Amino acid sequence: MIPEQPVYLEDKVDEIRQSGRLAYRSTALPTWCPGCGYYSMTEGLVNALTELRIKGEDTVIVSGIGCASRFPFFMDTYGFHTLHGRALPVATGVKVANDKLTVVAVGGDGDGFAIGCGHIPHAARRNVNITYLLFDNGIYGLTKGQVSPTSATGFITPTSPFQNRDAPLNPLLMLLSYGASWVGQAYAGWPHHLTQLIRQALEHPGFSYLHVLSPCVTFDKTDRTYQNLDLAVRELDADHDSSDMAAAMRAAADTNTPTLGLYYAEKRETLGQALDLIAARAAGAQRIKRATTRHRQRKTPA
Amino acid sequence: MAKQTDIQISICGSAGDGTIAVGDIFKRAMARAGYRVIAFDHYPAEIRGFGKCISRTRISTNQVYSMKSYSDVLVSLNDLHAIPHVGEVRDYGAIIYDSAPMSAVAEGAHISGHLMPGHLPYALPIRELSELATGANRSRNIVALGFIAGLYQLPQQAFHQAIAAKFETKAPAVADTALAAFDSGFKSGSSTYKFDDVQIDHSRARKNGGEVRMMTGNGAIAHGCLEAGIETFFGYPITPATGIMERLAVEMPRRGGRLVQTEDEIAAISATIGAGYAGARAATATSGPGLALMAEMLGLGVMAEVPAVVFVSQRGGPSTGMPTKTEQSDLNLAVWGGHGDARRIVLAPTNVEGCRRCAARAFEMAEKFQVPVIVLIDLYLSNRYETVFLQGEDNFLPKNWQRVDSGAPGDNYRRYELTADGLSPRCVPGEAGGIYTATGLEHDEYGHPNDSPDVHSLMSEKRHEKLRDAMKYPGINFTKRFGDKGKIDVGLLAWGSTFGEALEAVLLAREEGIRCAAMKVVMMSPLPARPILRFCNDCQQVLVPELNYTGQFANLVSGELGRPVTRVSHATGAPMDINYLLTAIRNAAKQKLRNKTTTSNPTKA
Ligand SMILES: Cc1ncc(C[n+]2csc(CCOP(=O)(O)OP(=O)(O)O)c2C)c(N)n1
Ligand code: SF4
Ligand SMILES: [Mg+2]
Repeated sequence: MIPEQPVYLEDKVDEIRQSGRLAYRSTALPTWCPGCGYYSMTEGLVNALTELRIKGEDTVIVSGIGCASRFPFFMDTYGFHTLHGRALPVATGVKVANDKLTVVAVGGDGDGFAIGCGHIPHAARRNVNITYLLFDNGIYGLTKGQVSPTSATGFITPTSPFQNRDAPLNPLLMLLSYGASWVGQAYAGWPHHLTQLIRQALEHPGFSYLHVLSPCVTFDKTDRTYQNLDLAVRELDADHDSSDMAAAMRAAADTNTPTLGLYYAEKRETLGQALDLIAARAAGAQRIKRATTRHRQRKTPA
Repeated sequence: MAKQTDIQISICGSAGDGTIAVGDIFKRAMARAGYRVIAFDHYPAEIRGFGKCISRTRISTNQVYSMKSYSDVLVSLNDLHAIPHVGEVRDYGAIIYDSAPMSAVAEGAHISGHLMPGHLPYALPIRELSELATGANRSRNIVALGFIAGLYQLPQQAFHQAIAAKFETKAPAVADTALAAFDSGFKSGSSTYKFDDVQIDHSRARKNGGEVRMMTGNGAIAHGCLEAGIETFFGYPITPATGIMERLAVEMPRRGGRLVQTEDEIAAISATIGAGYAGARAATATSGPGLALMAEMLGLGVMAEVPAVVFVSQRGGPSTGMPTKTEQSDLNLAVWGGHGDARRIVLAPTNVEGCRRCAARAFEMAEKFQVPVIVLIDLYLSNRYETVFLQGEDNFLPKNWQRVDSGAPGDNYRRYELTADGLSPRCVPGEAGGIYTATGLEHDEYGHPNDSPDVHSLMSEKRHEKLRDAMKYPGINFTKRFGDKGKIDVGLLAWGSTFGEALEAVLLAREEGIRCAAMKVVMMSPLPARPILRFCNDCQQVLVPELNYTGQFANLVSGELGRPVTRVSHATGAPMDINYLLTAIRNAAKQKLRNKTTTSNPTKA
């Protein structure tokens, strides 16, 4: 039966909110195009935060600029929508200022691998205890469809009308070689898998990098579409050992089949722990010992 | 009757002679002995080699604000380097040199051949004394120091303490050798007949009372940061600001502070803004090139109303320019740099004590006005030493902002509420009831993106008007007038390190009978236009001396006041030349007789 009046989502929001199904969602409705892969990130992060029982007021989502970076506005957590390319250093500042917060950096491929590319190795090597969700649509969505550093060679866009001749970057291989202590890949078309990976990334003590393949349905009709990705993606082998860096690199180097899952994870001193250790050293040798054991204790359950 | 003591001693040598080290002992000993000290060293630009080093120290019984334009005493540890500086010694001043230098010298290469008629020479077997006292010629610098102390009957005790402190961390034999060298120089100086007219009257020196510290501008900034309870610092090394970070790297962790060397200045300011957003007292330090990189993020700080402190020490520019020379050419960038209408607070202290006070107050102001605060100094102020008296400890305020738990559920917190004074309540992550998203997009009171015409004009007004009260913030003199009161012929409007030279020139001009005064301006943005205008209205002629080519402060003042001023620009890489300023004052005083209206200097338009 067709209702007499059309039903608008806007009118239903309060009702839905009361049902409790919009936990962690802000009153603002997402401004993404219908069908955009980015809807999966709201779903994924909300579910992961719910599962881990992390409070909205203890969470800070820091983003750059781009469609993906609009994310903090749609969440009922603290947020900082910063500058194009600067999500990671701002997130580092937030985390250094208050280690108790759960800090999530979010951005697109242009944000992370073009303008902000200089910050990634340093966040990784310092092992800042934050989670970086990079939504890769292989295109500049917000500025209406220009070529990006992860676009395929041959891709035609308004700024590459005669085909893109540059080779795309391999983000996973880069992150592995930068020393990121947790590296994984997910796909917006597999939301449950995405949620599980976001959850693991949040739980990881250290810098966790999750690469999310995400279609831009408005500006990319040919390359990274749901149809193409659905056919191409596969999961990492069941026996993949996530402590084996060489195996992780081999999987990342295979660019023909986008492979999803947790590539690599290791536990090592985080920036926060390093700064605590420095403080203990500065306070005198006596306290170095105690601080080290405290870190060791803290490390075990994680 | 003995006069006030006010003398300047220059020690000149080659890198490796221990010139700077011995100058350091001298200034610390004199500070211990109760003098006010101001000192500025000259280093070679290269790290290695035999470049020229000069340690200049002015000691006085009264507060002084700059180096003198001449020296009373010159000590040569290397004649080749010292000869060009013979001319800076005044008539009846002393020149102390080695009568028998290390190696045979060509004709004209010995300093004795370059003295001028008024100079009084003390030829001393410096190397020989060093060898006799210590068995080596390495202590020539300390022998010369001892000679000065003996000649002018300075308190031997203070020097012994300063030498012991200097070599505290070395093997005891090092200090013993130095003391032996000093004493041999001292003995020689005491038994030499003093025939120059350099007077140091020790009875006038300040007796105990309060703690005296020798600090550079950079050291004072670090000190101020620590007093203000700095919690996080992010920085990228750059001359001449690096000293601030190096000092904080040692001191902050002891107090639980956290310091990270970032990958570049963009990351440094980004992390500082992130930490400020999260509620920490956060700062970074850089020089002009770094500030240029930070400009975009400062705009975000203004837009999202995030407190942060940025210390900027200027050097010669543009581009890599002259990294080891001083200049005041980043004022435009500090005040206006970046995109959009992004008013921020800019403080420019004029001396080392001011560096400490502005640094500490900058954190309070950043928090109170929810805006980035730039503290702008230059290489001259960064590196020069001054005695700082800590007895009247200022009461710097601990972290304090209006925490408001709105009780509103979810993201209904009005973080950018429009209030009468433009200042909104502020929450930081971790506090329930204050959830909001800070953004660089134009936004409404909730922080929600909104580009409607009303919102943009109201919010622009809020961001500008809230800074109006910054000019009334207690604890710093944002402007202050010195010299003649009432109507005067020539007024100097000066900022930053140049103020010291401006005041010195005014004091000299007044001795010549010119009615003049100097005003220091410490707040560059927002500019306290009213007191400046009042001062200008008292002056027949307003001169604005500064260390840059285009007259950046003059442009700022004449733009805001709508009143012409005369630029006295001096862009050589050196501090302002007092004689150059004095001549400008004399000319202005003369010109006033011919022409009643002021004009700007046509050659420097
Ligand atoms: C300094 C600066 N340069 C350029 C821009 C314009 N700009 C905004 S978003 C964007 C690219 C966005 O692409 P991506 O990061 O992949 O995010 P997406 O929109 O695809 O999610 C650009 C170039 C900007 N905001 N700031
Ligand atoms: S333009 Fe593309 S990336 Fe941006 S919201 Fe629309 S579909 Fe998503
Ligand atoms: Mg993109």
